[in-house]
Amino acid sequence: MTAIAAEHGVHMTPAPPGPRGIRRLLAPGYVRCLWTIPLMFGFGAGIAALVRWLEAWHPVWNGTVITTISLATIPLGFLGGIGGFDYWLGYAIGRPTQPEDHSGHGARSWKDYFRVNTDHKVIGIQYVATTFVFFIIGGLMAMLVRAELAKPGGQFVDSQTYNSLFSIHAALMIFLFIIPVFAGLGNYVIPLMIGAPDMAFPRLNALSYWLLPIAGVMFASSVLVPGGGFATGWTGYAPLASHQPLGQVFFNMGVQWAGASSIMTALNFLVTIITMRAPGMTFWRMPLLVWANFTTSLLVVIATPFIAGSQFFAMFDRVMHTHFFDPIGGGYALGYQHIFWFYSHPAVYIMMLPGFGIVSEVISTFARKPVFGYRLMAFSLVAILILGFSVWAHHMFVAGMAPWLRVPMMVTTLLIAIPTGIKVFSWLATLWEGRIKFTTPMLFALGFVSMFLIGGLSGIYLGSVPIDIHASDTYFIVAHIHYVLFGGSLFTIFAGLYYWFPKMTGRMYNERLGKIHFWMTLVFFNATFFPMHYLGLQGMPRRVYDYAPRFAGINMFISICSFILGASALLFLYNMITSWVRGPLAVGNPWRANSLEWQVSSPPPIFNFDAIPTVVAGPYEYGVPGARHAIMADEAKTADSVHAEAEEVRH
Amino acid sequence: MEAHAAAEQHHGPPPANVSSRIDARVLGMLLFIGSEIMLFGSFFTAYFFVRVVNHDSWPAKGTHLPVFVAGINTAILVTSSFTMHWALTSIKRGNRAGMRAGLALTFFMGLTFLLTQIAEYSRIGFAPNDSAFATIFFSLTGLHGMHVFIGLLLLLAATIRAFRGHYTPEHHHGVEIPGIYWHFVDVMWIVVYVTVYVL
Ligand SMILES: [Cu+2]
Repeated sequence: MTAIAAEHGVHMTPAPPGPRGIRRLLAPGYVRCLWTIPLMFGFGAGIAALVRWLEAWHPVWNGTVITTISLATIPLGFLGGIGGFDYWLGYAIGRPTQPEDHSGHGARSWKDYFRVNTDHKVIGIQYVATTFVFFIIGGLMAMLVRAELAKPGGQFVDSQTYNSLFSIHAALMIFLFIIPVFAGLGNYVIPLMIGAPDMAFPRLNALSYWLLPIAGVMFASSVLVPGGGFATGWTGYAPLASHQPLGQVFFNMGVQWAGASSIMTALNFLVTIITMRAPGMTFWRMPLLVWANFTTSLLVVIATPFIAGSQFFAMFDRVMHTHFFDPIGGGYALGYQHIFWFYSHPAVYIMMLPGFGIVSEVISTFARKPVFGYRLMAFSLVAILILGFSVWAHHMFVAGMAPWLRVPMMVTTLLIAIPTGIKVFSWLATLWEGRIKFTTPMLFALGFVSMFLIGGLSGIYLGSVPIDIHASDTYFIVAHIHYVLFGGSLFTIFAGLYYWFPKMTGRMYNERLGKIHFWMTLVFFNATFFPMHYLGLQGMPRRVYDYAPRFAGINMFISICSFILGASALLFLYNMITSWVRGPLAVGNPWRANSLEWQVSSPPPIFNFDAIPTVVAGPYEYGVPGARHAIMADEAKTADSVHAEAEEVRH
Repeated sequence: MEAHAAAEQHHGPPPANVSSRIDARVLGMLLFIGSEIMLFGSFFTAYFFVRVVNHDSWPAKGTHLPVFVAGINTAILVTSSFTMHWALTSIKRGNRAGMRAGLALTFFMGLTFLLTQIAEYSRIGFAPNDSAFATIFFSLTGLHGMHVFIGLLLLLAATIRAFRGHYTPEHHHGVEIPGIYWHFVDVMWIVVYVTVYVL
C-alpha cells in the first residue's frame, strides 16, 4: 500500500513516533490488552462468584458460568485495550468533544490495518481481508466434511466432530463471511458512491469492525473446548442446544458479537445514506448498490435482535436451566424455531440484496446500457424487505407447528418470487442488445443470474408444503442453500471484488487468471452441488456422517469435484495477493463506469473528494448521448482556471 | 455535541453535504431504538408463547408479584422522564442550573428504580429456573433493568459533562440524545409493567 500511495502521489504525513517503555501499557494497542483483558475477566468472574456466594449457590466458582461471562468480558477488555472506547470514555468524564479529526485516516503501512482506524476505506479492506480469512477456515472445514463423506461409513472423524465441522462451517460462512464481506464492500464503496467524505460515525464504524474477529475466533475456537465444538448445525435448535457440550455457548455468544457488529454497521449505513448524500443525489439517483445496502441495513436493524434473543434464551436454558423452551418446566419448545427463523429467513435477504446491488452495477457497466426499470428494481428490493418478514415458518412445515400456519406461509413464500423475478427479468432486459464485455466481474454476474435462478426455482419447490414435507432434511436442502448462497451470494462477492479491486488497491488483477477462476468455479460448483438435488430426492439425509452404500458413487464424485472447487479458491487468492503486490497500476476509471467512486483516482484520495461533487442525473446513463451522472468539483475548478488562463493570455 | 473542537483543522476532509433535515446523531439514536424495540419484541414473543400459547398460570401457583411496590417504582421512573424533559428545556433556554438539577434528579431516580428492582429480586421468593413463568418474569424485567443500567451510564456522562460546564442553548445533543433513550426506557417499562405485573 505504501508503494502505491507514493506512486499515486498521495500525500501522507509520516506516522508520529509510537509510545515507548511503560507508556505502551497505557497507549491504545495490543500491549495494553495485556492488562485490560485480565482486568475485565477478573471483574466478570468476580461478580459471578459474588452473586453465587450471596445466593448460597454451590459451587461458588462455576466453570460454565464463568466461561459464559468471560465470553462477554474478555472481548470487552480486548476492545478497550486496542482503543475502541478511548474517545467515549474521555467524553464520559467530561473531555471536550472532538469531531473525528481524521488524523488517523489512510494506512501508512500494512501495520495500520491491524490498528483501530476510522477511515472507511481502511475499514472496508480490514473487513474484506478478515472475512476471507474466515472464508478459508470455513472452506477447509467443508473440505473435511466432504472427505468424511467420500465413502459410506466413518472415515476420519466421529459423529460429534463431524456435526461440529458442518456447524462451524455454516456459522463462519454466514456470520463471518457473507454478511460482513458485504458490509466491507459497502463500507469501502458507499461513501464514495454517494459523494461523502466518510461514514456518518467513523468511530462506531471502527468499533463495529473489531467486533467481527471476536465472533470469528469464538466460533473457530469452540473446537478446543472440552467436549468439542458446537454440533447443532448453525440453526442451534433448542432444546437440543440445551444438552450440548460447553462449545454451544461459544456459538450463542459468537452470534451476539457478530450480530452487534452487523447492527452497528447497518445503523451507520442508514444514517450515512440518509444524511450525507452529495447535492443532487436524490434517492432516485442513487446507484442500486446504495439502494440494496439501504434495504439490507433496514433488515439488519429490524431482524437481528430476534436472533440475539433466540441465542440468549437458548443459552440461559443451557447455563441457568431456565424454561424458555423446555416443556417440562412449562416452556414452549417450538418457540425457538419461530424466534430464530423470524431473523434467519430475512437473513437470507441480508445475504442476497447487497449482491443484487453489485450485480446491477456490474451488468449495467459491462452491457453499456442503463439498468432496465431502475425504479422497479428499487421497489422490488423494498418489496422483498417487507415480504421477507411474513414467511419465516416455511422452515417449520414439518416441525409440528399449527397446521393452519402452513398455507399462509406457503403463499407469502411463493409471492416473493414476484419481486425476485422482476429483478432477474430486469437484468436480462439490461443485457438485451447491450454491448457486452465479458470481463471477470461480468462473467461472475452472469454466472450469478443463472445459478441464482436454479436456487430460486428449487426454493419454489421447497416453499410448497407437499414437496417440502418430502424433501425436508435431505440433501435437496443442502443443494438449494448452496445454489442460493454459493451460486448466489458468493458469485456476487467475487463479481464485486474483481469489479472494485482496481479501486481498492490501485492495481489491476490478472484477467486471465480471473477467467480461469470463473470457469473452474462455475463448472465444479455445479458438479459438486447439482447431484445433491438427486441425492436428496432419493432420500439421503443431511447432517449425518454415514449413509447408505447405494449413494457411494455419487458422493465420491461430489467429494472429488468439491476438492477442485476448493482449489479454485486458492487460484482466486493467488490472483488477488500477487496483483495487489505487483499488478499493473490501475487508472481511475478502468471500466468507464458512471458512478462517483470511479470519478476519483485509484485508490481514492484520503478524503475521497477534494470538494463534494454535484449529482445531475441517474448513475446508469450509458449510451445516452451527452448524459452524465455528476460534475466533479475539481472539474468545475479546472474549467474556471482554464478560462482564467485564456483571459491572461488575451491581456 | 458542542463546538469545542480545535479551531485550526489540519488538512482535513471536505465538509459533507447535509442531505437531510434530521441530525445524524438523533437519527442514529432513533434507529437504534427501533432495533431495541425489536429486541424487546423477541422477549415478548417468548412471553406470548408461555402465557398465551401454553396457558401457563400467571403468576405460577404459590407465587405472587409485588404489584404495589413495582407500581411505586413505575411512578418514580415516569417522574424521571419529566425531570429529563425539564433538563433539556432548561438548557435550551440557557438555564444551566435547571439542566444540572434535572439531570442529577433523573439519574438518582433511575438509580433508585434499579436498586429497588434488585431488592425486589432478592425477596421475590422464586428463581429464574423454577418455572417458565419465573423465567419470563426475570428475563423481561432483567432485560429492562439492563437498559436502565445503560441509560444510567449515558445519563452519568451527560451529568458529569453538565457539571463541568459543557452544553449551551445551541449545542445540547449530549443532553438530548441520552434523553431520547431515557424516554424509550421509560415507555418500555410501562409496557413491561402492564403485561407482566398488572394483566
Ligand atoms: Cu426462509
